[in-house]
Amino acid sequence: MRVVLVPHLLALGLYGLATALALAPFAGLRPAPRALTLGLPLAGAAAQVVGVAQLTPVGVAPVLSILALFLALLQVVSERVFRAPAVAMFTGPLATGLVALALLLGLGPGDAPSAGGNAWFILHVTLSVLGLALLALAFITAALYLLQFRELKSKRFGAVFRLFPPLERLDRLNHVSLVAGFPTLTLGVLLAVGYAVRYAGGMHVDPAQVVWGSFTWVVLGSAVWVRVVRRWAGRRAAFASIAGFAAVLLVYLAFKLAAPGTQRFL
Amino acid sequence: MSIAVVGVNHRTAPLEVRERFAHAPRDVATSLERLRSAGAGGGVLLSTCNRTEFYIAEPAEAVPEAVWAILTERLGDGREASAYGYLQRDREAVRHLYRVSAGLDSMILGESQIQGQVREAWELSKAQAGPVLHRLFQTALSVGARVRSETALGTGAASAPSAAVALAGKIFGLLAGRTALILGAGDIAELAASCLASEGVRVTLVANRTYERAQAIAEQLGGAALTLDEAWDHFASADIVLSSTAAPHAVVTWERVAPAIGRRRGRPLCILDLAVPRDVEPAVGQLENVFLYDIDDLQAVAAHAAAERHREIPAAERIVSDEVERFWAWYGGLAVVPVLKEFRGQLDQVRAAELERVLKRLAHLSPQDRAEVEQFSHALLNKFLHPPTIALKQAVQAGHGYSLLESLKKLFGLDRQHGE
Repeated sequence: MRVVLVPHLLALGLYGLATALALAPFAGLRPAPRALTLGLPLAGAAAQVVGVAQLTPVGVAPVLSILALFLALLQVVSERVFRAPAVAMFTGPLATGLVALALLLGLGPGDAPSAGGNAWFILHVTLSVLGLALLALAFITAALYLLQFRELKSKRFGAVFRLFPPLERLDRLNHVSLVAGFPTLTLGVLLAVGYAVRYAGGMHVDPAQVVWGSFTWVVLGSAVWVRVVRRWAGRRAAFASIAGFAAVLLVYLAFKLAAPGTQRFL
Repeated sequence: MSIAVVGVNHRTAPLEVRERFAHAPRDVATSLERLRSAGAGGGVLLSTCNRTEFYIAEPAEAVPEAVWAILTERLGDGREASAYGYLQRDREAVRHLYRVSAGLDSMILGESQIQGQVREAWELSKAQAGPVLHRLFQTALSVGARVRSETALGTGAASAPSAAVALAGKIFGLLAGRTALILGAGDIAELAASCLASEGVRVTLVANRTYERAQAIAEQLGGAALTLDEAWDHFASADIVLSSTAAPHAVVTWERVAPAIGRRRGRPLCILDLAVPRDVEPAVGQLENVFLYDIDDLQAVAAHAAAERHREIPAAERIVSDEVERFWAWYGGLAVVPVLKEFRGQLDQVRAAELERVLKRLAHLSPQDRAEVEQFSHALLNKFLHPPTIALKQAVQAGHGYSLLESLKKLFGLDRQHGE
């Protein structure tokens, strides 16, 4: 148990510190050196990898932990590759909160998947959660875009104007994360279907889950379609991204309210 | 030894005076030679649109007068240049250059152009600078760099042209490769277009009521010329529109540009209206993905940045003070070597003379005993010199050796021998 908890507590502390540094400029403090804003979440992610490696990825808590890990890594990529440190304002608290929630729910081994399908199952969880993290990043960048758009349109030149990245950079990051997130999540879901058929003796899914799951997939797919095929960009594309992720979030929350419990993620 | 700065800047002299004092690069050597003839140990001339300053090493009494004479000649109307200027010596001269290099003395606080100008001044004056000014300018550049990296004095867009660039940058990110349409062919349009071009923006079109004037500017900026009426359709393709016509009313109206903007497929358009009265109808700014800024907006951005920069002044001044003390410690160390050598030499002469006198009286001593006495005289002198030498070196390291050195020179009459 300690090999799971200690790395997670360490990650929690490092993510918390990284979040404080990300929010500091909005409190009028000087931005932290880049080595720290990149190094802290990376160190937290490294610690978390050690903890996650000990977990069986079944149940809400392990999945939240893996989601936090991917968010922290995407935060680093956003800052390093896209020079969008403001992303950390959202991903930082989110990753910190998710690790804290996972710890509160109790990080322990869940029902192990069938021995033969272990790799298949792990790949399903990894891709699904990575897809979710990418879609969350698309949502965050869309929100940042809309905030910066509003500031620029209304000619307010305060903290958001100074600290948020340029519109086109946010739009590009939103495009990349949405276009990468959707197929990743789709592949993750397909692997779940394959796993169920091959190793779990068929699909044991509530029809409501199929209907609402398909609805979510269509909404997300539409957001990608308007971006890629209709070449939407900017504000309209940001709204589409927000709609896509909101659909995922609302449908998931509805399912969890209908069937509470932390033993299964869905 | 001493350092001085003699000159004028934007705070002490109006533009009309400053522009007469400005030196072209080819004139720098001549003016510095005149200072050397007047007794300066070395000189560097920093001449920009906001300042003309002579930095002088070991300035003899006549040197500041020589500077004022050079500048008064440039005024050429009977006015005295010294009425517009200042003279600072030693630590204050060093502090002055460090503040200049850090952008603390600039018209736009924290602007970075001055750093390059200080470097150019140093390079132009290298032949006449001498080792002290060489070191002073070298350190001034590193002080400027330190202030910029350790404080936020240079961040944000603190002038209207840089605010225009910052606003466009907040929409497009990198400006390199973006296209600009310029409306109007006046000086302001030309200046702002040059600012954008320096960021890599391609000025593809210049439109003006008078086609010939548009053509002249377009040729300079590498674009094509248009009349104003031909320009509206190009609102569909340009990334940035910079407008500064002399029209007495809005020329960019919703009716003229809305159809073209509708064909942009959501791509953002940044319109910078630098004209007074404004060229662009406010309704144009309401169009989807159009970001319209006028001169007041640019000044608001600049004012925000300036306020941010002002908050950094105490931190920047602390760095400057630290570096002044560091330089002064080095400078004191430089001065201490010849003075100590002279001091020791002078006392050694006294020792040798007294030894000779004593040995004449002690003629009965064997050569071995004479050698012993001579050895004793050396040892005694060294014992006497040791504490003041150590004290002086320590004072130099602590940054207050210069005054002690001056006292030593006065007490032992070393000034006269050095001719300083």
